[in-house]
Amino acid sequence: MEGRLLSLILLTPLAGVLLLLLTPGGNRRLIKLMANLAGVAGFLVTIPLMMNFKAGTRGYQFTERLPWIPSLGVEYALGVDGISLLLVALTALAGALAILCSWGAVEERLKEFYALLLLQQAGMMGVFLATDFFLFYFCWELVLIPMYFIIGMWGGERRLYAAIKFVLYTVLGSVLMLLGILALYWQHFQQTGIYSFDIVKLMQVTLPPGTEHWIFWAFFIGFAIKVPMFPFHTWLPDAHVEAPTAGSVILAAVLLKMGTYGFVRFSLPLLPNASADRTVVRVIAVLSLIAILYGALVSLMQKDWKRLVAYSSVSHMGFCTLGIFALNHAGIAGSALQQVNHGISTSMLFLLVGIIYERRHTREIAQYGGLAHAMPGFAKVFAFAVFSSAGLPLLNGFIGEFTILQGVFAANRTWAAFAVMGVVLGAAYLLWLYQRTMLGAVTREENRGVADLTPREWLTFLPLMAWALWIGLYPKPFFDVLDAPVRAILERVAVR
Amino acid sequence: MPDGYLPIFVFLPVAILFPVVTLFVAKLVRPSQPTPSKLGAYECGIEPASNSRGRYTVRYYIVAILFVVFDVETVFLYPWAVRYKQLGWFGVAEVAVFLAILIVGYVWAYKKGAFEWV
Amino acid sequence: MTAFYTGTDHFAVLPALLLALFGCAVLLFEFVLPVGMASRRALAALTLAGEGFTAYSLYRQHSYLSSQGWPALTAFQGAVTIDGLALAFNWMFLAAAGLAALISYRYLETEGEHSGEYYGLLLFAQFGMFFLASGTDLIVQFTGLETMALSFYVLVGFLRGRRRSNEAALKYFVLGVLSSGLILYGFSVLYGISGSTKLSAVAGAVAGRGAGDPLIWLAVATLGAGLFFKIAAAPFHMWAPDAYDGGPTPVVAYLSVASKAAAFVLLLRLFLGPLAAAREAWQGLTVMVALASLAVGTIAALSQDNVKRLLAYSSIAHGGYVLLGLVAGNARGLQGIVVYLLTYVFMNTGAFLVLVLLRRGEAEGNHIDDLSGLMRRSPAAAVLMLLFLLSLGGLPPSSGFIAKYYIFLALVESGHYALAAVGAIFAAAGLYYYFRLVKTMFGGRELAGEPLAASMGTRVAMVSTAVVTLGLGLYPEPLLQLALLPVKP
Repeated sequence: MEGRLLSLILLTPLAGVLLLLLTPGGNRRLIKLMANLAGVAGFLVTIPLMMNFKAGTRGYQFTERLPWIPSLGVEYALGVDGISLLLVALTALAGALAILCSWGAVEERLKEFYALLLLQQAGMMGVFLATDFFLFYFCWELVLIPMYFIIGMWGGERRLYAAIKFVLYTVLGSVLMLLGILALYWQHFQQTGIYSFDIVKLMQVTLPPGTEHWIFWAFFIGFAIKVPMFPFHTWLPDAHVEAPTAGSVILAAVLLKMGTYGFVRFSLPLLPNASADRTVVRVIAVLSLIAILYGALVSLMQKDWKRLVAYSSVSHMGFCTLGIFALNHAGIAGSALQQVNHGISTSMLFLLVGIIYERRHTREIAQYGGLAHAMPGFAKVFAFAVFSSAGLPLLNGFIGEFTILQGVFAANRTWAAFAVMGVVLGAAYLLWLYQRTMLGAVTREENRGVADLTPREWLTFLPLMAWALWIGLYPKPFFDVLDAPVRAILERVAVR
Repeated sequence: MPDGYLPIFVFLPVAILFPVVTLFVAKLVRPSQPTPSKLGAYECGIEPASNSRGRYTVRYYIVAILFVVFDVETVFLYPWAVRYKQLGWFGVAEVAVFLAILIVGYVWAYKKGAFEWV
Repeated sequence: MTAFYTGTDHFAVLPALLLALFGCAVLLFEFVLPVGMASRRALAALTLAGEGFTAYSLYRQHSYLSSQGWPALTAFQGAVTIDGLALAFNWMFLAAAGLAALISYRYLETEGEHSGEYYGLLLFAQFGMFFLASGTDLIVQFTGLETMALSFYVLVGFLRGRRRSNEAALKYFVLGVLSSGLILYGFSVLYGISGSTKLSAVAGAVAGRGAGDPLIWLAVATLGAGLFFKIAAAPFHMWAPDAYDGGPTPVVAYLSVASKAAAFVLLLRLFLGPLAAAREAWQGLTVMVALASLAVGTIAALSQDNVKRLLAYSSIAHGGYVLLGLVAGNARGLQGIVVYLLTYVFMNTGAFLVLVLLRRGEAEGNHIDDLSGLMRRSPAAAVLMLLFLLSLGGLPPSSGFIAKYYIFLALVESGHYALAAVGAIFAAAGLYYYFRLVKTMFGGRELAGEPLAASMGTRVAMVSTAVVTLGLGLYPEPLLQLALLPVKP
């Protein structure tokens, strides 16, 4: 089993899809149980990976390699390093929780819904586990279709618009990225005479500077749309607002990370000269800062609870890209960790919005006020999520943002100054949101009788809260895991 | 090579000039006395019964097409007949295949009722 | 004296002979059948039997060539050549014709037009295509082209009772004849400069004159215009939407994949054969036509409410992608063309097949609203249609992705980065209209009406198109091996 662990992780959700399709359609409870079983199994199979992963080891671990399309040199090649390990863990957890949180929220076409969630999970795992560029791209695109349906069929009123916008934006980015991949692949063939998509082999290519820049921008568009970076972010609020809770959780926790992961895994090590080019770095840093500040300011203005959280994602993901292009150890490691942090805290925020929406069927902030009276448990969890997202010390967000800022400060003080403003604004819109919805007197009668969190809902939050606390209090294991891959990237980028 | 085309180059102007010249000369010498019956359409010398652009049944076309098919058949048979000896059994087989295809078409048309005049 | 009909000759044209034989047989077979629609299904069975025999003879050619290390097998003093290119395309035509025969009988029964000549024409068209793929003589190629085209003119107008079908056939006929005339004119120029109809002799004459020669330009322009007509590439595409819209759906499925592929193989035989020496003469022209096709196909498809017209415009855009493979002009491009057309056979036929399913009683099943709520009405049909649309859109895990991938790879390898980028952007834009159908199927209001009932043949066709489309997307190696055939030494 040891040698095929990653395949097991990849295939467990697919087995879940099969299991669901074989489950008789009439019994709703059974379908839900089966789906949760698959979700939990998907998480459990990642545990041996966590236990046996050797921090501090260079290169990929648990590698698997099978020929897939020999005439193109495409391989089914899997492997993990520290950066992908964290994201695999996040994906497994988010996938299981997305299924769990839909227990009461989704009542239509259950089977299809859960099957799509599991399919999505398999695709995302493939993205993070692939060490073959073709396989990566294959999974990258595979993720799209389930999400289209999750938004388009179980979403809000403007779901179809949001879903197609999501698809078109992402595909436009990814086809250009494909051209970048093909250019790189062809350069590799010309220099070595071997067709290969292996990212380790592709690193040996020496590119002419012009070509490298073109490829970099092709990748950039693909990844930046996914992150999403300003000005490619406009699909995000629509997709988030219209998606059902499970979809929002997956989008926020995992899908956006595919973009930043792409920068760290592919742009930096494969195209080190272009990535370290002063102009390129400056452009990306400025876009990141705009995303941070613009996202925060727009969040302040939102009247819709979910849209606010969606724009906060733009702002938080800006920190991640900024940290990556600080191009130093603290920046990249901080970004890699912040990806996980954002996944945890934003998932919690979306889950909370989902819960309140299920009870009151509105997301308008003005409809709420003084909810803490009716829902003390909800208020506590919400406070936790807000603090985690706003970067309060002792919680996960603080560790990530602080490390990123450390790295950015070392790279450029002006950027750091602007980024800090983003942190302040972040605290502002989140705390203001909390104040408007939770605190004060109960302003509307409907909010008096709202039920508090059920045990099942508590169950969805507990793992996230535990993980947030763990990162906040004792982040060392995470940084240990990240150290070796970040060093490897820096060696590549610092080569010139 | 151009000398092979010489007859054509001679023939071409003659072919163009001949109708032009004859029409022009005819115009010069003939008397012009138009009458209604002279200007009318010619239908075997009797008074036209109706507009000559009238519609008639599509079956005429079918018969015409069938005629063309079997007319062309004979065109193909002539060269074979001329070179019969040289082509030998191969020629016989070839023409047999050709005729067989036409017979299939004939049978099909017959069965479909193409020859019935309803 | 040279032998007229040797064993090699027979071996080379046996598939075509079988097609002609079964075509004639099926014409007459109708008259021995008992009266009644149901008995006419035997016609479809006989057609499929013919395809089976043809497949076997193709397989024998395939295994023979493969055992000999892929030599080009010439027959009839060089007029017919069986090589990898011919075989790859003949397999394509076989698949397309077989699928068309499978999905036709129920459709024809619904239309009340079930008769032997339909299947006969289906086979005769394939007969013509055989000679387009394997002909290496201008006369043979032109005869093949006309045999195919004449069969299609009739097939498109097969629904005699429908005005739209008649109109479609007339438009297709008039424009098709014009394009045939242009091609014939191009052939006559090629014959004029070389004094021979053999492509090998033409090649020598073209190489001797070079790309700058006005006669070569004339030949390229007329051949190009004629063939782009047949391919339905913009700006020569006007007939396609009308012909697709009016023609019987199974015929349109066949027309859109097989006739396109057949025109492409002729284009390849000419442009990569004798005219390869005059590459400069056609390269620019092809680029322009390819880009125009992408633009016209993609943009016009956005606003179509008739699914058949939408697929017609999408097919114009697909023609543009295949032409980009020709522009790349390297071995990868040629492979890309084969991969693209072969996957296109299955995914496009599959999409039309779902439309055939929707043709029930009074419902024509062509309007986008007829797809509304298909997911609830017939989940299997909706999911299959989704697969075909994803494949047409070029998304993994379908074979359409592999096809687009190859075209882009060929463009990148030959240094056409800008063209690749334009193609990629149109690919993304094209998803919009495919997803419009997806949206209607999965989001729309459910239509009342009888549930869809698929005939046995339709089921077999559905399963096989879906299995190939998905299977080749997940494991494309066999497809790529087949696509290697044309570039074997």
